[in-house]
Amino acid sequence: MRVSENIKFNTIVNNMFKSQDSYNKLAEKISSLKEINKPSDDPIGMNKILNLRESRTSIEQYTRNMDGSESWLTITESKLSAAGDLLVNARVVAIAQSTATMSVETRSSEAETVQQLIDEMLALANSKYDGRYLFSGTKTKEAPFSSSEVAATIGTAAVADGNGDFDGTVTSGGVYSGSVNKTYVVKIVTDGEALADTTYRVSVDGGKTWSDPPSTDLVDGAPITLGDGVQLTFTEGPTNDLSENDIFYIQALAPGYYNGNSEEMSINIAEGTSFAYSISGEAVFTDKGDGTVDIFNVLDKLKGALENNEPDIIASCIDDLKAGSDQISKNISSCGSRMNRLEIAKSNLVDLDLNLTKLLSDTEDADMAEIITRFSMKETALKASYATASKIGNLTILDYLR
Amino acid sequence: MSGIKSLNIARDALLSHQTAINLTGSNIANANTPGYTRQRPVFSALNPSVEISKIERIYDKFLGVQINEQMHNLGYGETRKNELDRIEMTFNETEGGGINELLNKFWNAWEDLSANPSGQAEKQALVSVSQSLTSMFHSYSNELFSVQNDVNTQIPFLVDQINNYASDIADINARILHTEIKGANESGLNSLKDERANLLSELAGIVDFHYIENSNDSVSVFMSNGMPLVEGDQKWELDVVTENHTSNPSFYDVIFKDDPDKEVINNVITKGSLAGLLDIRDVTITDYLSSLNTLVSSIVSEINVQHKLGYDTNQNLGEDFFDATKTEAKNIEISAVIVADINKIAASETVNGDGGNASSIGALKDELFMNNGHSTLNSYYASIVGQIGQDVIDANRDFDRHTNLTNQLTNKRESISGVSIDEEMMSLVRYQTGYNAAAKLFSTADELIDTLMNMVG
Repeated sequence: MRVSENIKFNTIVNNMFKSQDSYNKLAEKISSLKEINKPSDDPIGMNKILNLRESRTSIEQYTRNMDGSESWLTITESKLSAAGDLLVNARVVAIAQSTATMSVETRSSEAETVQQLIDEMLALANSKYDGRYLFSGTKTKEAPFSSSEVAATIGTAAVADGNGDFDGTVTSGGVYSGSVNKTYVVKIVTDGEALADTTYRVSVDGGKTWSDPPSTDLVDGAPITLGDGVQLTFTEGPTNDLSENDIFYIQALAPGYYNGNSEEMSINIAEGTSFAYSISGEAVFTDKGDGTVDIFNVLDKLKGALENNEPDIIASCIDDLKAGSDQISKNISSCGSRMNRLEIAKSNLVDLDLNLTKLLSDTEDADMAEIITRFSMKETALKASYATASKIGNLTILDYLR
Repeated sequence: MSGIKSLNIARDALLSHQTAINLTGSNIANANTPGYTRQRPVFSALNPSVEISKIERIYDKFLGVQINEQMHNLGYGETRKNELDRIEMTFNETEGGGINELLNKFWNAWEDLSANPSGQAEKQALVSVSQSLTSMFHSYSNELFSVQNDVNTQIPFLVDQINNYASDIADINARILHTEIKGANESGLNSLKDERANLLSELAGIVDFHYIENSNDSVSVFMSNGMPLVEGDQKWELDVVTENHTSNPSFYDVIFKDDPDKEVINNVITKGSLAGLLDIRDVTITDYLSSLNTLVSSIVSEINVQHKLGYDTNQNLGEDFFDATKTEAKNIEISAVIVADINKIAASETVNGDGGNASSIGALKDELFMNNGHSTLNSYYASIVGQIGQDVIDANRDFDRHTNLTNQLTNKRESISGVSIDEEMMSLVRYQTGYNAAAKLFSTADELIDTLMNMVG
């Protein structure tokens, strides 16, 4: 091939640029310690990195969620075992006072002790953690237990704040016949000119799920029945209608001491896995839902029997107190098994996180040994091309002509 | 009269070799001139004398066409590479801190809220991380728009350049057509052709065209649809119009200036840097923007749907969390109602203030909303970044390949048309020897005549 001056020059310069380019790329990897410094270094790797980072962030969050639940459960467990101790104390009193040898005076003075136990128990059952009641189910802003037994109650129809500008009246009524506490919610489905044209829908679980039929016509002035004897009456106002999605809710309480509900609070601890970390006061202290013994009722009964000097009733409380202790122990062990589950889930996440960290590092971190070897190879190549470049045109026929 | 004849022969030989030496000098002088085509004297016997019948321009016509084709590809590839490099910088999340990280923080903020549904700090944190996320979307889309606009403003400049090159080529055609070709002018004519070849190669980097060398030494240049840019000394200009483009009225479209219908010829321009710009503006960036917008509109609608199922602190059903009228990356906004009152965040599944709905929204991150149920919102975003990375790689590879091809072809051209100093030095020695010999012939003839004269005298 004929070699012109430009060919000599171009060949050397192009090769020099190529060497410099790969030299600089390696230098960048060495200085950043990263294999991937921009998406085009390895698009699939980049994609993987972003997905791995997302997984790791989720794991951090799940771990944080679990740490929170664990403290909640720890507090719950300590409150429950304190409550268990109180019941043991009450049973000691009951056993001692059920014998015929005890006098009226000792019994009435022990009634005082039981009152102390009741107060203590109420304080425990109404304990808070992080500003929220431990035992009120999901109604965490409401004190779950009252000091005395209350008959079945239907709360006033509450209008959600900022609920349109309905100027009629809504009143609740009826006698609640349900066995557990419920929150009834009425949602306006279609708004009409008059109440008669308006339709509504009912939920018995606080608005989570909606019962059939999907819409029922409202009646002006006449009570509508929501279920279990709960009634609601809408009366038309002078000007403004109901509007779609207006919410009215009613707390219906079964007879007893409990104001909370039977729901448990939960949190996500893994993809698609939700974990219930709270224990409802219903299961711990009442005979409704999952519970079998109404603890406050038994304590009140014991106190009454002590005051009234009724050894038979005192004796009958012993078994109930035992059953109450068992109920609390059962819930303590439920706390324990939930914490075990958290421990296992957490250690799994730690393993997973280690794996992900390793994968992430394999993908994005530079293998220094390998890169530095390649770097010194490129360095040699670059030096060679510099050495060649410096010799361009050194040798021509001119040296031999005179 | 053989003495006089010898004198004439010596004169012709001297002149011819003088011309040859001049040409060699011209070659040496242009050894480093880009696009210079070496010239060679063609000696022909003019019995019994000699003349330089022609100054040959040594080049391969077909190689020129091939190089110009590579210049089309190179111009296209280089433009795409440069603009994509810029886009890639925006989407470079290797250090974190981009949309991916903020999306993760966004989901975590919902999880935190689910653990403490009435917490004001958690709600405030959710609002501020949502605002960071939306403003990150704004800045990504602004960056894409600004690349798109910069690309757009380059288009009229390139069209101007095309017109200038076409006009220069037509000009050279005219000078070639109107020059008396033969003899002394030939070297000058060759340099005009070199200049024209350079112009064609520059033009080839901007836009694709066909060209023909006519028998009268002029060239005709046609656009890929056969419309002429240059024919002989005639030229046709291109122009840009706005208000025509479907996606943005300020985008320029290319037309023939003389076309009464002003028909847009963007599709005729398939290679060269102008095609690269049109492609980046109308296809690449438009695609990236539409992917981002798909992501944004899914985020807005999916979060809103779930948010509206929950209840806020005041037991109202949730409203839109993101402003439902703003579903593009450039304008996504958290609803003004929520910013004004963070208690409107519907964290609860029931009217009793649990954290169930926040938990459900946090779990949306694992839902396969995108690509017909095959990817999550996060992985869809990761695939956009991967796509951009892949596009940059493809553009770089394309550019490297065409650079190599162009270098090879240029070397081949240089090998034929380029100047070799060694060769020229040899020619110089050769012509000098010829010149010396001719001079000797001259003086011998002169002596012969002298001798003759003396005899006569």
